[in-house]
Amino acid sequence: MYGWIGKVLRVNLTSGKISTEPLNEKLAKDFIGARGLGAKIFSNEVDPNVDPLSAENKLLFVTGPLTGTLATSAGRYNVVTKGPLTGTIAASNSGGYFGPELKYAGYDLIIVEGRAEKPAYLWIYNDKVEIRCAEHLWGKLTGETTDLLLQETDPEAKVACIGPGGENMVLFAGIVNDKHRAAGRTGVGAVMGSKNLKAVVVRGTGGVKVANKEAFREAVLDARAKLMAHPVTSGGLPTYGTNVLINILNQIGSLPTNNFRTAYFEEADKISGETMAETKYLRKKACFACTISCGRVSAVKSGPWAHVGEGPEYEATWSYGSQCGVDDVDAIIKANNLCDQLGIDPITMGSTIACAMELFEEGVIDQETTGLPLNFGNAEALVKLTEDTGYQRGFGAELAAGSYRLANKYGHPELSMTVKKQEIPAYDPRGVQGMGLEYATSNRGGCHVRGYLTSPEVLGIPEKLDPDSTEEKPAWLKTFQDLTAALDSAGICLFTTFAIGGPEIADMLSAATGIDYSAEDFLHCGDRIWNLERLFNLAAGLTAADDNLPPRMLEEPIPTGPNKGKVSKLPEMLPVYYQVRGWSSDGIPTDEKLTELGLA
Amino acid sequence: MVTVRFFAGIREITGQKETTVAASTLKDLLTNLAAKHGLRFQHEVYGPEGVSDEAIILVNGRHLEHLPEGLETELVPDDTVAIFPLVGGG
Repeated sequence: MYGWIGKVLRVNLTSGKISTEPLNEKLAKDFIGARGLGAKIFSNEVDPNVDPLSAENKLLFVTGPLTGTLATSAGRYNVVTKGPLTGTIAASNSGGYFGPELKYAGYDLIIVEGRAEKPAYLWIYNDKVEIRCAEHLWGKLTGETTDLLLQETDPEAKVACIGPGGENMVLFAGIVNDKHRAAGRTGVGAVMGSKNLKAVVVRGTGGVKVANKEAFREAVLDARAKLMAHPVTSGGLPTYGTNVLINILNQIGSLPTNNFRTAYFEEADKISGETMAETKYLRKKACFACTISCGRVSAVKSGPWAHVGEGPEYEATWSYGSQCGVDDVDAIIKANNLCDQLGIDPITMGSTIACAMELFEEGVIDQETTGLPLNFGNAEALVKLTEDTGYQRGFGAELAAGSYRLANKYGHPELSMTVKKQEIPAYDPRGVQGMGLEYATSNRGGCHVRGYLTSPEVLGIPEKLDPDSTEEKPAWLKTFQDLTAALDSAGICLFTTFAIGGPEIADMLSAATGIDYSAEDFLHCGDRIWNLERLFNLAAGLTAADDNLPPRMLEEPIPTGPNKGKVSKLPEMLPVYYQVRGWSSDGIPTDEKLTELGLA
Repeated sequence: MVTVRFFAGIREITGQKETTVAASTLKDLLTNLAAKHGLRFQHEVYGPEGVSDEAIILVNGRHLEHLPEGLETELVPDDTVAIFPLVGGG
């Protein structure tokens, strides 16, 4: 095979059996790789009703056919499993260097089964694979774990590991690779912790063969030239990082603030990318084969939270910042770094603290419960509660289940800003209508990177859509969801789509694999993957009732800022979306649709 | 006076985060700023060839593209105009 390696590594932690098997070429062609191929193999092998934290759940690390090639921003891999936070299929995407290294070791994917009796890690050096003892690493932060593993294996190896968050099965724990890149959302790190698997360490000395070298080179150079010429991928992102969005989302009146009580934060500029570029960022940091370099090495130079780390990205700055009413940028950077070290998702962490702050301000919980005054704006609480959550200490043990379970426990489910039990991100759907539909229909719970309509609705890319309109959003969303599903599966970064689209990616994919994918074929694969994920979720017990938004989005108009008075018009859009998708009015893919996609 | 806020790379051109401008329409305001801030502003935001494709201009949070009167939108003293380069993230 070209693009794909053609080999699957299967590791059973219960029995200790390690085996390899050939990659099914038909599945690879139809589901591409990473997110899509992982979803297909996972669906074939795992009961949708499996307990996510049981030994019967499986954990897949899956690369795409472009991962590790010289294609633009081709450092991505996906972790696929059933997520403990949401109960949905979970595909969590990460960059860095781990994915390419897995392919250089000779594998497209790893299927991890069972549960180790004691803490263990997986050491892969090409075709030599061992399950090793990790008792000496258990309890350690991700940075120290990585350093120790590189010392005892190979300094050139790449490490994907969990921190205390995953070990303690925080329901939104992530898997951290290369120290600061993470498969962050949906709780994949808790699944890894439930298996007593501390880390996967991989070193490969092989490569990836492409089918048509000259065509591949031309396709990559074409895509790269477009990335280098586009103002977002050559200007805004390299200069300011993802945090450049804080000010624009605030200026349009859609920066969620104080647990979505409003959508305008007076102090936004203090936590913006512009401010951090002046005062906190030390240098850029790129993932594998990436010309964009949106990552940031940052420092808090003095005070109680002094440290050098990476980030924060826009989402974490929002979740700990305006979402909690906090404008102390040092506290935000420190809390975000703790998430990297503990191995937990900063979006859900910050938003769960915000939910607790609202419960506190409403008098539902008091300081006896929380251990500290928990008003909006309390910067110290971000740091303390993040650490307590990672270790399941005190009130942190309650936060470790996420805001859905927290708000329900205290009788106020309406104060959890979640879809399918996962926290919605940093775009208030009352002011950006398409994003509301995107959140509601995401196959992995509240998420912004399943169909990023912010791009046309706020940024005007690839064309300007009115954020208030609803009419055209279902069709746009389907296209974006399908494109994203295919792109995630190919193994390249979503940010490339600011500058390139289906045709350019299909060209790279065709040249790499030797299979002729047109842009339409590529989108069709995305449609197939989207429907496959939907089928898994339906079999797991989810229904159309789960395609919804928190009641605040539908019933409480934004009280301040440019979008004052607006609510989400989701009920107008959802039935149209089902039609556009070829689903019944109950949100179930029709037989005709499944036949069209080869899923019948 | 209308409040004008500059963001990201536009701040490098204007050398300031915020200013106030006396203008009755958005076109007047941009013409005023173009005269004050020179060629780079005219190239990246607004100049003789109109509004740059690489600029995002908001009036009270609404994108210029979605204002019914476009550049002829009338401004009143409490209005806020925000000017960004084309940015992205996620």
